[in-house]
Amino acid sequence: MTPLVWAYSESDEAANELSSAANQIANASAGQSTILEVGKPRDGVRGNNKLVLKSSARPPYTSEVVSEMIFRAAQKFKPSVILVGSTRQGREVAGRLAAKMGAGSMSDAFALRISGQMLFGSRNVYAGRVVAQMSAPLPSIATVRIGAYPPESAASAKVQEFEAGDVPSRVKILRATKKESGSIDIRKAKTVVSVGRGIKKKEDISMMEGLAKTMGAALGCSRPISSDLGWLPEECHIGLTGISVSPELYLAVGISGQLQHVAGIKDSKVIAAINSDKDAPIFQAADYGIVGDLYQLVPAIQRAFSARKS
Amino acid sequence: MRVAVCVKHAVDETELRIDQSGTPLVEGSPSKMSSFDKSAVEEAVRMRAARGGEVTIFTVGSPDAKRTIKEALAMGADKGVHILAELGTVDTLGTARLLAAAIKMAGGFDMVLCAEGSSDTYTGQVPPMLAELLALPFVGYARKIEFKDHVVDVEQSLEESVTSVECALPLVVSVVSEINEPRYPTLIQIMQASKKPLMDVPRDTLGPAGFSGGNVGVVSMSGKPMNRKHIMIEGTPDEAAKKLLDALASEGVIPK
Repeated sequence: MTPLVWAYSESDEAANELSSAANQIANASAGQSTILEVGKPRDGVRGNNKLVLKSSARPPYTSEVVSEMIFRAAQKFKPSVILVGSTRQGREVAGRLAAKMGAGSMSDAFALRISGQMLFGSRNVYAGRVVAQMSAPLPSIATVRIGAYPPESAASAKVQEFEAGDVPSRVKILRATKKESGSIDIRKAKTVVSVGRGIKKKEDISMMEGLAKTMGAALGCSRPISSDLGWLPEECHIGLTGISVSPELYLAVGISGQLQHVAGIKDSKVIAAINSDKDAPIFQAADYGIVGDLYQLVPAIQRAFSARKS
Repeated sequence: MRVAVCVKHAVDETELRIDQSGTPLVEGSPSKMSSFDKSAVEEAVRMRAARGGEVTIFTVGSPDAKRTIKEALAMGADKGVHILAELGTVDTLGTARLLAAAIKMAGGFDMVLCAEGSSDTYTGQVPPMLAELLALPFVGYARKIEFKDHVVDVEQSLEESVTSVECALPLVVSVVSEINEPRYPTLIQIMQASKKPLMDVPRDTLGPAGFSGGNVGVVSMSGKPMNRKHIMIEGTPDEAAKKLLDALASEGVIPK
């Protein structure tokens, strides 16, 4: 039996990554990959095959609805693996789907492959200090780490439809307010400048924005700056419960370097850190460190960077 | 108002020991209540303060997990249910099945609260699985919960948006830690917690749910070495800045 690998994400960007993940896994085991769409196909999402799931539900689709639609389609087509983008909504879809199917759910996985009747994959655990290799019998669900696979470039060819019937939702979406986001997508930025509790007041964020601008960098932060103080939007929060980044250069300014923050920056090529405390754990995670006052060092770095450019 | 809170007794990710061969020593490492769970307990205790009722803590774990239940009781929860299962013998679906069976057995909850994920493995899978198994609606990543008669309005913090949703009780909610500032129990509260009811539930008494999950197994684990250079740069701010940029340029991560 040739394995059928499905992929779904509500995010176009993640869907393209999952599309190439599904292709890779399917190709390695002479199987077939299909991208799932809900309601109608999205132009920006690429893949060889698309299965469009239709139902009584209307957008915006809740994860409750999406998981039930995928479940009904899975009963008919019997996929071996269902990949779901590891976003906050994706985790609900995957969890519900796994419980409906009685299947295992691997979380935030990468390096996925099918071998025999098993799915294998890896994931980071313990705040990124450990990599675990996991296995689960087919059929299996896996949420896939964002950024783990390159986006699919092939144009979609075959589109098929599936009618899921009447699918109610008990959760009613009243409104969605888009979060503001930085001018450069932090996940894709080559340089990330990031700020933590070393900064004393909200107004000083503009100094950090100035440095980021000079360096052509995206500006991120540790959890307290976004979640507790609200000085930067939550989508700037880098760490275990925020986003993970893997830039060429990560410059941590006034960040103590708690494990949960370091979990989100581990895959950076070079990490540099500035902190007034010589014992700050961030220096254990850094290639280059300067102990000093960020209010003197940030302008100095900005001057030195401008001088190099001219 | 009856609230169930599911918590996890987790390996302390900051104290996890990794031996010289790179193998994590999970079993001998210190453990504690998963840090995000405190926000779920806090939210439940505040709900009881505002609306009356009772808060019950549920956990699946080894005998050591009692410490986590007692901590939640010290924070103000009323009673605890401890489903006994050794670490590593249940996957996320297995855990959700055990919790769902125990919650059904206790019965009559208006809300089941969880954290967004655990601080050790952070899968975020148990809360939606629990909702599915209990045939309840689910709202994840809540940063604000507001009661209106028999419905709740919840603000969900998603990646791209903040979404406001409405849902009737009963339901399962997972919370993010910015929802509140968890309290620290006083010494007296810690002492009083030991007098609160804490029930042991052997997993096999929960029926077939006690035996299986989705069979996600861990094949192997290896520590991720942090191969960083740890070069400290000294000098005046201007000297240090220049040296840093020279070093970064020779690494090829900024223009030469």
